[in-house]
Amino acid sequence: MRTIIMSPKKDFRISVEAEVISPDRLALLDIDQIKKLAVWQGNRQHILSDLFTVESDDSTATAGDTTVRLTGDFSKVKRIGEGMTAGVIEVQGSAGMHAGNNMSGGLLSIAENADDWLAREMRGGKVVVMGDAGNYVGAGYRGEKCGMRGGEIEVSGSVGAYLGEHICGGSIRIGGNAGDFAGAANQGGTIFIEGCSYLPGAEMSKGTITVKGTAKVLPSFQKMEVVQIDGQAYQKYAGDLVDNGKGELLVGSVRMV
Amino acid sequence: MIIKGGIVYDPANGIFGEEMDLFVDKGRMVEQAKGEEIDAHGLLVMPGGVDAHSHIAGKKVNTGRIMRPDDSRLGTEPRTGTCRPSTGYTVPNCYAIGYRYARMGYTTAFEAATPILEARHTHEELEEIPIIDKGALTLFGNNWQVMECIRNNDMDMLAAYMAWGLRSARGYGVKIVNPGGGEAWGFGGNVKGLDDPVPNFDVTPAEIIRGLAQANEMLRLPHSIHLHLNNLGKPGNYNTAIETLDLLKDIRPGRMRQVVHITHMQFSAYGGSSWRDFESKAPVIADYFNSHHHATMDMGQLLFGSATTMTADAPLEYGNARLTHNKWSNHDIELEESSGVVPMVYSRKMLVNAVQWAVGLELALLVADPWKILMTTDHPNGSPFVNYPEVISLLISKPKRDAEMALMHDQVQNRTSLSGIERELDWTDIVIMTRAAPARILGLQDKGHLGPGADADITIYNLMPEELDASQNHDLVKKALACAKYTIKGGAVVSKDGQILSTPPGRTFWVDAAVPQDDADRLMPELEEKFAKYYSVQLSNYAVQDAYLPHAQVIRAGLSVESLKEVA
Repeated sequence: MRTIIMSPKKDFRISVEAEVISPDRLALLDIDQIKKLAVWQGNRQHILSDLFTVESDDSTATAGDTTVRLTGDFSKVKRIGEGMTAGVIEVQGSAGMHAGNNMSGGLLSIAENADDWLAREMRGGKVVVMGDAGNYVGAGYRGEKCGMRGGEIEVSGSVGAYLGEHICGGSIRIGGNAGDFAGAANQGGTIFIEGCSYLPGAEMSKGTITVKGTAKVLPSFQKMEVVQIDGQAYQKYAGDLVDNGKGELLVGSVRMV
Repeated sequence: MIIKGGIVYDPANGIFGEEMDLFVDKGRMVEQAKGEEIDAHGLLVMPGGVDAHSHIAGKKVNTGRIMRPDDSRLGTEPRTGTCRPSTGYTVPNCYAIGYRYARMGYTTAFEAATPILEARHTHEELEEIPIIDKGALTLFGNNWQVMECIRNNDMDMLAAYMAWGLRSARGYGVKIVNPGGGEAWGFGGNVKGLDDPVPNFDVTPAEIIRGLAQANEMLRLPHSIHLHLNNLGKPGNYNTAIETLDLLKDIRPGRMRQVVHITHMQFSAYGGSSWRDFESKAPVIADYFNSHHHATMDMGQLLFGSATTMTADAPLEYGNARLTHNKWSNHDIELEESSGVVPMVYSRKMLVNAVQWAVGLELALLVADPWKILMTTDHPNGSPFVNYPEVISLLISKPKRDAEMALMHDQVQNRTSLSGIERELDWTDIVIMTRAAPARILGLQDKGHLGPGADADITIYNLMPEELDASQNHDLVKKALACAKYTIKGGAVVSKDGQILSTPPGRTFWVDAAVPQDDADRLMPELEEKFAKYYSVQLSNYAVQDAYLPHAQVIRAGLSVESLKEVA
């Protein structure tokens, strides 16, 4: 088991693109090689040790046996854990945009907040956020037909708009509220929202979206029966009928507007 | 410059793999020259590639880019000291188009379809494509003025209008897309066959095609009509293809060339009555081409993976969008055309796609004369042009085709004849299909060969044709063709081992055809009326100004060239 600990040397005013911070990229390198990895800040290229302190024993390990611990403020550091397949990343503060994008395995845990595009186009593994997350959690990037395809996302706080847009598989659980258009164009994923949302499931064709709190439902959803889940009553809808959808939308408390 | 010791293929000049030195001076091939020496001992040397049909510039390409930011990120390359940044795979940015063609050894590419109204945009993009020489074919098949002239049987005025349209668009040749169908699409319809009249115009697709072909020959244009057939992409459409070809066989060419070039034939060689009994009719089409000599075609090969379909055949794109539930762009171009764009993914596992894949290859392998069929993928409709090496390695290797077919639906064996075709193309065939024939079919005299006076566009590949068994080592062939050892454009090395070394601007060819003054005088009042009544722009703002073509190369036609003499 190898642990690599990294910490920013200063507060970044300009974001850093650090897709190298991932067990897959670091596990097989010794400490000097890690320090020399290239990262971009704005339009300038740096080596990792210009911007971060890096501590680790010199043993190499497989990605699955590696933990990367990020201490300090990583909220201006983008693409942490991009494409990771195994191992653990522990962000002890907040993480910047695109954290865990395209990951297919392993665990990314974020103690505070995550920015936009958390775990976009994720294929497998698990992402846990203790605080809030931004827009487009688990979504597809611009123009993409398929967002998250597998794996699990858990956010204890609230998330922004377009949660799980174009989701094709996997599951998302939100402890707080979700913004506008949660689960838009859902094609087979499962989304559970403890709090409220606005117009969930627009253009969904498959999959399930559950909103335990209140939600405004689009008129293109067909009202079905009331179902009981874990002692609570949910109004069930089928849709989105504009797309001839066969999706399932469950709402704890429907807002009439 | 001297290129020493290469194994040269220059079929237009009767050279089929001879070891010889080539000499270049001032951007042209010459008999003797001094200067820099390039050692090409034993390596495959041929003229620079010529792509006669590729959608590389203009409004619909840009619409594809706008619709597909997901495609943009598939091909990003950062800028270097020489190159600007590249993006995209099926719809690359302008810079990437130039660099990627040059890396593959191509030095010329023609944009396949531009409405006159949008030609200015096309030329703005063509000018930004570095390195390669280019030109743009101009759309005439659904044009109101064209249909009116044909209805009135006024061939002289039609020729005058085509000359005026080519000059206005700074266009190279006459492109016809689903004649009549684009106009019918303005009313939500399509034409079903060659004799189905166009709404409000009282002409049929057959009359439009014949009229444009006759006027094309009256104008003695360097290229023949370039035809995208009616009913393209539909089961059973091979009948339409044969009927259309028969329609044109008595027309006399105005120059030494074909009278019609059928483009992306693969999409028009289908049998069956629906997608359920969809099958290949490539053997029938190939037989026709083997027994007739007035037509040429390009493959329009389909490859599995991502593509972006874009065409002036708007009803076809509506069908694609309904079929795939994908994004759809639809466009009406005033008095001239309609068009559409739909992203597409072709899958090995889909029987229809697998049959389409086989049809393209069957056509190329069953047509005996390689001068009649060009290698294209109808970029980016069948596949992006960067996959040409894959197409060539399939044509050159039966084992590769068999290996591919083993991964497909069993029915492909029954619905196509591909598994029974033993033919493997040789380097002469490939050089003709990718260089010599496209240049001859387009009427580009200085392209596609290496004789004295030709443009010094030369490709050297890292392959030893005399030692290599291309059929068995198809992987090696594909790799080498994707990345030329040297690409020389106009006498300058532009790409070496995949690295772009210099980015000279390419030229843009266009055709200026002279017509009798009284025909032009009769035409203008009709055009003035159309612009006053219907067009959203003024006549005075319509034509592309020369400022948009700083590297223009004008080719004369019409009255300024001599007609063919009758040989007793």
